[in-house]
Formats: sequence, C-alpha cells, structure tokens
Amino acid sequence: MKETYGVALPGMNLGDLVGKLIVIEGTDGVGRSTQISLLKEWLEQQGRAVLDTGLSRSGLAGKGIKRAKQGHTLGRITLSLFYASDFADRLENEIVPALRAGFVVLTDRYIYSLMARAMVRGLAPEWVRNVHAFALKPDATFYLRIGVDDLIPRVVFSRGFDYWESGMDLYASEDMYDSFRRYQSALLEQFDKLAEEYKFEVIDASPDPRTVFEQLRAGILGVLLGEPQPVKGDGAPAGVAAPAPVDLLPVDSSPSPVLVRPEQPEKELKL
Amino acid sequence: MKRYGEHRIPGRLFVVEGIDGSGKSTQLLLLHQWLRAEGYGVVFSEWNSSLVVKDTTKRGKKKKLLTPSTFCLIHATDFADRMERNIIPLLKAGAVVLCDRYIYTAFARDVARGMDPKWTRELYSFAVKPTLAFYFRVPLEIAMKRLNDSRNGFKYYEAGMDLELSVDPDESFRLFQARILEEYEKIVPEFGLTVIDATLPIEAQQAQMRQLVGAKLAQAKQLRVAP
Repeated sequence: MKETYGVALPGMNLGDLVGKLIVIEGTDGVGRSTQISLLKEWLEQQGRAVLDTGLSRSGLAGKGIKRAKQGHTLGRITLSLFYASDFADRLENEIVPALRAGFVVLTDRYIYSLMARAMVRGLAPEWVRNVHAFALKPDATFYLRIGVDDLIPRVVFSRGFDYWESGMDLYASEDMYDSFRRYQSALLEQFDKLAEEYKFEVIDASPDPRTVFEQLRAGILGVLLGEPQPVKGDGAPAGVAAPAPVDLLPVDSSPSPVLVRPEQPEKELKL
Repeated sequence: MKRYGEHRIPGRLFVVEGIDGSGKSTQLLLLHQWLRAEGYGVVFSEWNSSLVVKDTTKRGKKKKLLTPSTFCLIHATDFADRMERNIIPLLKAGAVVLCDRYIYTAFARDVARGMDPKWTRELYSFAVKPTLAFYFRVPLEIAMKRLNDSRNGFKYYEAGMDLELSVDPDESFRLFQARILEEYEKIVPEFGLTVIDATLPIEAQQAQMRQLVGAKLAQAKQLRVAP
C-alpha cells in the first residue's frame, strides 16, 4: 500500500492506488525529458498506460508560477510554497487518480528537486521536509546524476543559460556562467544528500542517452515485476561504474501477462 | 531562516483575528486612523492580497479548483510573498504594521477543512510573531445577523461549500463558521491572543485596543515617524 511522508491530505484514500509511481530526478539539462519520452513510448508498447507529469504543469498554479518567475521577484519561501501548491494540485488531480486507475506515473522531477532548490536557498531543512510531507512515497526514484563539467557543454550547446537555472537570484553579482557553475554544484551536493536519505537509484547520466535509457528500462522493469530493487549507488556519485550488462529484452521470460509482447521487434531509438 | 518568535526587529506588528462579522476590520481601521494622527509610520497589510499570487487564487476560487490542501498552500504562498516582500522589510525599517487576519486565520480555516493542525502550524513557522494579536470573540448568531444586514449571500469558499456540509449556503456558512470558532478557541491560549469582547459597543472595544497598543508603542524606541 502507498503511503505519504507523514501527513495525510483530507479525503485522500491511499488504499486502492494500484499503479506505480516512478520518479525521474536530476538537475537541469541532464536529459530527463528525453528519457521520459523514450520510457513512455516503451511502456505503452508493453501495454502499460502512462501518465507523465512534471513541475509547474498544474491547472491551478502552473501559469501563475511562470508569470511570477518572469518578473524575477519571488522570495525563496514564496517560490517554495508556490511550487508546493502546484505539486499538491497535480498530486490530487492527476497523480492519485492515475495511480487509482492502474497507470504507471512517470514524473519528471518530484519533491526532491523542490527540496534541493529550497535548501540551496538557505531554507531550514526541517521546514522544507514538513512542507512536502504530504507527498506519496514513490515506488522508485531514478536519479540521473551528472557532474557540473559534463553538464555545462550540454547547456551551452542546446538552450543556453537560464536565469533561474543559473541561480541568478542567489548569485546576482556574477555572470551567468559562474553563477550557473556555483548554483548547479550546490544543487548537486544537495541531491547527493537526498539520494542517500531517500534511497534513490543513482544512474550515471554522462554516457549516451541510449545507455542511460537501457539502465532506466531495466530498473523500471524490476519495479513493474515487483522484483527487489538492485542496491546501487552507495554514495557512488561521480563515477557510477560502467552500466552493468542489461538484458535488452527481459520481457521474454516475464511471467507477467501485461508485459509479454515477445514478437515485438525492438524499435529503433531515435536519439 | 528565522522562525516564529525569533525575529528581532525594531518595528511593531499588530494583527486582528476573528470570524467574518466579528467587527475586526472596523476596529483595525479605527486603530489605523488613530496611529496616523499620532504621527506613526503605519502600513496596512490585508490577507490574501499578494500581487504575484492573486491571479492564481482568484482563478482557483472562480473555477472551484481548490481542495483543502491547495486552498491552504496557495494562501500560504500569498502570505509568504507579503511577509518576504512587505512585512519583514517594513518592520526592519521601524514601521508599525497592521494586518487584517494573520496566520491564525489559516490555522482556524485550514484545520476546519481537515488539514493536519501540526503540519499547518509548521508551514507558517516563518511568520513574524506579532507584538499583539487581537481576537474578536463573538457568538455565531450575532456575527451572522451583522453579515445578513450588510450584504446578500455568502461566497462559495467563504461558506465552506467545498466541504459539502450543506447545499444551503446559509446553513453551510453556519456549520463551517462554527468549526472555525472551535479552532479559534484552541488557538487563543496556544498563541496567547488578546481577546476582545466583540459584543461591546464599538467605542469601548476601540478604547481597549488603543490602550494596549499605546503601551506597546511607548516601549518601542526605534519607531519610524511618518514623513
């Protein structure tokens, strides 16, 4: 049975949430959305209904947050609570109903990103934990980990530096490059602590997307089949070893009827 | 991050609390006029008025998107914005700040909507502790009579219609406010609110307030006078 991190919301019944809640965490530009679209396609091919959701996509607060961030005028507590409002709205109106209907919910970031950002901005960890204590504990959290040095070229050569991703509200006196380095390094430090505390499965995000995808797929299969999670990432950040050999079509031997589609040729990954 | 009771700032913060129809806003307005006449630098801050968050709250209420949890969190966001942007900087600058409703309103309403009392209190632990918080205690029937005389009909969330206590707005309002009153009675001793009997004549209540506020201001050394 699903449970929360300590606080139940009024009227939320956790007894019949039969779906799986799978979190993909990782810092800005690490490739989360690429992986999520690959995973969604793969899961749907396996016959699994998928809901994908992510920060500031709520019907209630999504637009308000985006507008407020354009003004660059939000205080750190306000920002944190605005995101928590957005999250609560998505939890009640998207995530929980989807889990009740048996969906696999893939969420692009979760409370951990919100917590890391808040703590980097100096908010007290106990307060931050309490704010998010109504969140559901996920079935698994995969943390796409990358070092700042590997991250920078990805950002430079794709979308460029963004005001908030560079933590310019924190390090306004520096240029965006220096500020980005400092902010993302501080975030990574927080993520590493959270990874330990909340038992993330750490995946090295520096190899090519296909390699990363294969690891994610193997991990998610484990969750779906109810297998125990491979214990990895004992504080194994930077050099999470070369990916363990992964059986590319473990579904062949799967006893689960939903997953069996052995004739399906493996689809070419467009990366 | 300073917690409730840990801020050391030269300004003074006075807040009024109570259910709708308790007369608290009238009393705060009269206090405001007096403080201005006395020459203090006074700033007034209203519940639910942050410009950044207002559109979201309005939308949520109009489209009835709010559940107890999002109602609670969006109001906390609004309050945080006012706290970070206005109330704390003003108090640091030595102003007298007046708030119509404060965190106790959230504790009463959100818990009446089923939110966890401890969680809600911790959520607002970043708030500055007021110099004085007045609670205008009034029986429900008197408050309802005042409201019926002055306006027609209650709004959806004001009447707690989201809780489906009754399909009749008047009845729903009554049931919801009764729950809120019950919560306020727990809050009064817990946070040491100053109780004013809101059935007394307006002038008598105001005289009590001015005496208590005046005593606190006399002790304050670094208050800003109005320019």
